[in-house]
Amino acid sequence: MLPEAFDAPFMQRALLESLMLAGLAGVLGSWIVLRRLAFFTHGVGTAAFPGLVVAGPAGVAPQLTGLAAALLYAGGVEWLGRARRVAVDAATGLVLVGALALGVILASDVFESGAGVDRLLFGSLIGLSDRDLWLTGLALAAAVVLHIALRRSWLAQGFDPGTARALGIRAELADRLLLLAITSAAVVALDAVGALLVTAVLVIPAATVRLVAPSVATLQAGTAVLAAVEGVAGLWLAYELNIGPGPAIAVLGGALFALVAVVTAVARRWT
Amino acid sequence: MSGSPVVVEGLAGGYAAGADVLRGVSFTLEAGTITAVLGPNGGGKTTLFRAMLAELPAQRGVVRLVGRPAYVPQTDRTRLDFPVNALDVVLMGAYSRTPSWRRLARADRDAARACLDRVGLADAARRRFGALSGGQRQRVLIARALLQDSPVVLLDEPLSGVDAVSAARIDAVFDELRAERRVLLVATHDVEQARRWDRVVCLNGEQVAFGAPAEVLTTAVLRSTYGAELVVLAGGERAVAVDHHSH
Repeated sequence: MLPEAFDAPFMQRALLESLMLAGLAGVLGSWIVLRRLAFFTHGVGTAAFPGLVVAGPAGVAPQLTGLAAALLYAGGVEWLGRARRVAVDAATGLVLVGALALGVILASDVFESGAGVDRLLFGSLIGLSDRDLWLTGLALAAAVVLHIALRRSWLAQGFDPGTARALGIRAELADRLLLLAITSAAVVALDAVGALLVTAVLVIPAATVRLVAPSVATLQAGTAVLAAVEGVAGLWLAYELNIGPGPAIAVLGGALFALVAVVTAVARRWT
Repeated sequence: MSGSPVVVEGLAGGYAAGADVLRGVSFTLEAGTITAVLGPNGGGKTTLFRAMLAELPAQRGVVRLVGRPAYVPQTDRTRLDFPVNALDVVLMGAYSRTPSWRRLARADRDAARACLDRVGLADAARRRFGALSGGQRQRVLIARALLQDSPVVLLDEPLSGVDAVSAARIDAVFDELRAERRVLLVATHDVEQARRWDRVVCLNGEQVAFGAPAEVLTTAVLRSTYGAELVVLAGGERAVAVDHHSH
């Protein structure tokens, strides 16, 4: 029932990967848009980029160095947000530009690596290893467990942060674990969609469904389905057009978001 | 005095060490009373509540309460774009009773509906919180506090900018809570309202006065509470605080 493109083993691996990423999008993407962490998510992906570049020459898993770089970034943003000494958005922008530049310099001048900057930035269909798939599965399992354990904290703290503690909720730890889960999700998504396009899978589907979803549960279910459809269609497009899957998924997702945004805006005006 | 449900002694504090927003606050409240917390914007009403919730980053002095107080924030502190309905919001009042991985108890769901009914919104349970009117949203937040079933309830300007129907309903709920022997602290700008309640705390960076409305609500006290914001009407007996809202 699948198109011919998915006959090849590497495409079946890519398919499995994108379905697991759709699960992550469903569980965490919803919290990313509800808790206004879309830019944070984008930042984590970009910050991981120099980590990915050094992984090859260092001979370690790119997820490991990517995660280290991303955690450094996430910890920094979290600390800046609490310290309130600098404007967080300006500092974040600075770090992101720095990370991108550092990654490019490391890749082209220092290591002259064959890693391929465009592959690290925009993802690749080929070469997904068993380890990549297992790590994505692990991140998905962890995200599901955290969601089940902490969803009410995330909801109450997001809805009305001033009252969460009075409701008996310890939000600080829960929020840090949410950032950790998002960071892990972004890092395992890097192999498929690339450092610059993590939001294509973790944010755009959730932002699209958000326009119509009446509850958190429908937002999550709808996002998982939409991310799966966009992921599979994006893979097929990437295969047929011989482009990276990241851009294909991002363009599809962006177009659909625009369509839904226009339709809901028009519908609201006419009702 | 140890039997009183709310004891505050020599309370001072603020949002950073060495930068007190509030000083010299001392009062004792008995069960079954409503206390108005009067003061200008920035006078320390919300800060007092933060201190009573033990959430003020820097605080000194004594705050002794029975149980964990319920808190009703100003409605503009909530996110109107969240995909939650009125019942979802009320149910947050039961979160501390059930671990997140377990379904909320049937009894809590029934109790949440009963709380919505008490604030006159039984029919709005399934309506999106953000689609309700300001007064209705305020009543939903009060219903959430009702579900918490706390002996002490702190309400931050629950009557500011609400419609007449909501205001009447909220007033009625206050009377019920007083009859249930709970302690209510209500931040308000409305001096006339404060006259109808049992105690008044006047704050202007520090405690200006505390006591029964008849003793406290004099022109002199209101003048030191509100400073230049105060407008005194003819006769000198009736004073109205002009509300410069800026949020």
